[in-house]
Amino acid sequence: MASIFTREKGRRRRRVEPSPCLHVFCSCLADDRFRDIAYDVGARLPSLDRTKGTTIGAIAIKLQDVSKQFEGAATPAVTSLDLDIEEGSIVVLIGPSGCGKTTTLRMINRLIEPTSGRIDINGEDVTQRPVAELRREIGYVIQQVGLFPHQTIAANIATVPKMLGWEKQRISDRIEELANLVGLEPSLLDRYPDELSGGQQQRVGVARALAADPPVLLMDEPFGAVDPIVRIRLQDELLELQARVGKTIVLVTHDIDEALKIADRIALLNVGGILEQYSPPDELLAEPANRFVEEFVGEDRSVKRLQLRTVADLPFNRGPVVAATDGAAAARNIMEEYATEWIGVTSDDVFLGWVHADDVQDNVSLESVPRSVPAAQVQPGSTLRNAMQIIMTSHTSTAVIEDEGRFGGIVTLELIRASLEAEPGQ
Amino acid sequence: MTLLAQAPVPRDVGVFEWLFDPASWTGSDGILVSLADTVILCSVVVVVATVTMVPLASWLAHTRRGEVSVSWMVTLSRAIPTFAVAGLLVPISLRIGWGFEPWPILIALLLLALPPIFLNTYTAIQQVDPGAVDAARAMGYSETSVLVRVELALATAVILAGVRVAAVTVVATEPIRAFLGGDGLGRYVRDGLGQNNDGLLIAGAILVAGLAGLTALVFRLIEGFALPEGVRRLATTATR
Amino acid sequence: MNAVFAQAPNPIVRWEYFIDEWDQIQSALLEHLELTVYAVGLGLIASAGLSAIALRYRWALAPINGFTAFLYTIPSVALFGILVPYFGLSRLTAVLPLAAYTLLILVTNIVAGFNAVSPEVREAADSMGMTPTRKVLQVELPLAMPYIIAGLRVAVVSTVGIVTVAAIIGQGGLGRLILDGLRRAFWTPMTIGAVLSILLALALDGLILGVGRWLTPWAQRARRAP
Repeated sequence: MASIFTREKGRRRRRVEPSPCLHVFCSCLADDRFRDIAYDVGARLPSLDRTKGTTIGAIAIKLQDVSKQFEGAATPAVTSLDLDIEEGSIVVLIGPSGCGKTTTLRMINRLIEPTSGRIDINGEDVTQRPVAELRREIGYVIQQVGLFPHQTIAANIATVPKMLGWEKQRISDRIEELANLVGLEPSLLDRYPDELSGGQQQRVGVARALAADPPVLLMDEPFGAVDPIVRIRLQDELLELQARVGKTIVLVTHDIDEALKIADRIALLNVGGILEQYSPPDELLAEPANRFVEEFVGEDRSVKRLQLRTVADLPFNRGPVVAATDGAAAARNIMEEYATEWIGVTSDDVFLGWVHADDVQDNVSLESVPRSVPAAQVQPGSTLRNAMQIIMTSHTSTAVIEDEGRFGGIVTLELIRASLEAEPGQ
Repeated sequence: MTLLAQAPVPRDVGVFEWLFDPASWTGSDGILVSLADTVILCSVVVVVATVTMVPLASWLAHTRRGEVSVSWMVTLSRAIPTFAVAGLLVPISLRIGWGFEPWPILIALLLLALPPIFLNTYTAIQQVDPGAVDAARAMGYSETSVLVRVELALATAVILAGVRVAAVTVVATEPIRAFLGGDGLGRYVRDGLGQNNDGLLIAGAILVAGLAGLTALVFRLIEGFALPEGVRRLATTATR
Repeated sequence: MNAVFAQAPNPIVRWEYFIDEWDQIQSALLEHLELTVYAVGLGLIASAGLSAIALRYRWALAPINGFTAFLYTIPSVALFGILVPYFGLSRLTAVLPLAAYTLLILVTNIVAGFNAVSPEVREAADSMGMTPTRKVLQVELPLAMPYIIAGLRVAVVSTVGIVTVAAIIGQGGLGRLILDGLRRAFWTPMTIGAVLSILLALALDGLILGVGRWLTPWAQRARRAP
């Protein structure tokens, strides 16, 4: 394993300058743009405790043998779809054009009526109630948002509560609460929709959908119309929101990365509304049900899987690291064991740096010898993909895990690769 | 000067008897004369309006000027109570010695005809496919040629629609002339009212309405047959 | 006859007339206003009904448009004339044709206004569980307002103009002044009648415009800041 710290034999060093890469690294540190490369910013996956489809909760939405054939169309839009959506989970419907994902979504709140089959929400057939009543208990967010241009933001959000007859005070309290929840500045509440940016409008759309606190939220490509940076932020906020309110969310998207990022389960549909696979993201990537799924998720599915796990998921590996108090002899032993010329030194569980073999002297405390700062550093919350990227771009082979200031072990490309062989969900 | 003249129609003669009686058509008070009277006035108005507005509007649109004039035209077209304007012009016209007829009604009708022709021409030229204009310029047409050969040609259908609207409006409004001291086809309505002659009244109304409808029909036929197929397809009814 | 008129010592406006006959002028003005309001009111109601049909049944739009356009092309003189034998020289004879003339612009604009409501706004309203009535009243109607107001302005202004013509059947409001002056070879009432009817048209136009602006506060705000 080629290490940045290997050097040609016979060369003595006084100052530690392991390689030109450290120059680059240091200058990278000074440059803000590279901060995220050298130091992973941490969790892009909040709520690490989110169980991915392993719990068996109540079934909030149940589609049974649902089909839809549009008049005059050659092929059905949806074919005998069976889908169980658990309460409190985010299920993403995804697939190529014509796969019926939007049609399916819109059958849940009866914007489209199925040709055959049955849809239950919380055990009750959706056709059993007047449709307007049903829809007041389902939140619906679309790509173009559809805010009422002639009403203020506050009035827009208050639409369903007003229809349900809430008192004024309750409504205004709720609006304040929602503004907080979706990250909307209160000053915007008295503005009109066309005075807001795309991202802000999307947030209002979500607030409006959640206003009456419906148990179910339907979203049709909600983040498609905003630019990529805003989209990522909105996705993160959705996850944070879900951690707080725990709705049953059905979301349609055409972006597989978005699906992988936010879904508890993904329903991959083929043209004609045929369900090809319905499983959690990692399983979809690790065990595609057939060729179609394989092609859809992409050839880089293994790499994609790395986005779904974090460094914390790896088994702890101390690597060639010793505590300063362990002494020089221990250090040399470790270095020999790992066949490396560099040893990591910690003190009180804090990683101090890498020390070169030449600088290890018997009577000198490991703390006082010259050392170099790690070129690659990650946090427990970093995705494996980011960790891999950091290791590769720093020209090292080892990244140090920094867990709130304390040493958390090391990560290597080998360890990352090995994790892929584990069963999905572990 | 027939304001107080009696029409030579017996009372309570049936409407259609009167209409189909050749005698009603001939003579200095006959339908033909009145018809000619009306048609001549209306034609003059429409021709003048077209001849002035089409070049003006197309030049303004071609050179991308005069957005303001568009809104003037729109205001003009709406705020004019024609009867009132014609009425206003009568004393003025007499004062300056231009007489009772035809100036007040002619000017009032002209004001009525200008907006549709101007607006349609302006919008049509403005909406001509810029690609076609660019291509023409690139091929070496002079600016005037571009305007005439390309823009006007493509805009013809819409312009013609505007002329039609103007013509129909003028013909439909012209009958008020009979109440302002003139004659024309509206005189029979006037006389019918004055003499309490219902038959004459209705006949007069039919004649007036018939002419308006005929005008509309004739123009539609012209639009249908006289335009090359491609140009006709471009026509949108910009106003009605 | 020309000679007769030319001899009379007639200024365009004799101001004594204006003051003396103020009552008459006022009543003519009021009558004019009344006729306009009745006619546009009736026309609006009829147009609302026709528009509702045209919006609900797509195939009905073309025939309805054709019908209203046909009515519009009938010269006012003819339409007033035709109705006199049946309804006499009454208000009704005047109001019916006046209302008929407003149908074209009002139906066109009401239909256009409702069609201008964007599909996603409609879908949002549906998806939130709005009943059809609520959707029309709370969402579609306000959004269609600008078009309806524009149509109303045109309808009112053109009605004011045609009311003057109704003077020929004795129901003309300010048009009566015009005809009266013509008959008596007296210019003042003609001028006053004409000028007042133009002013009335402009005033009503401005009034409706103002009401329209008041009803549509969202359209008055500046466009979005990024």
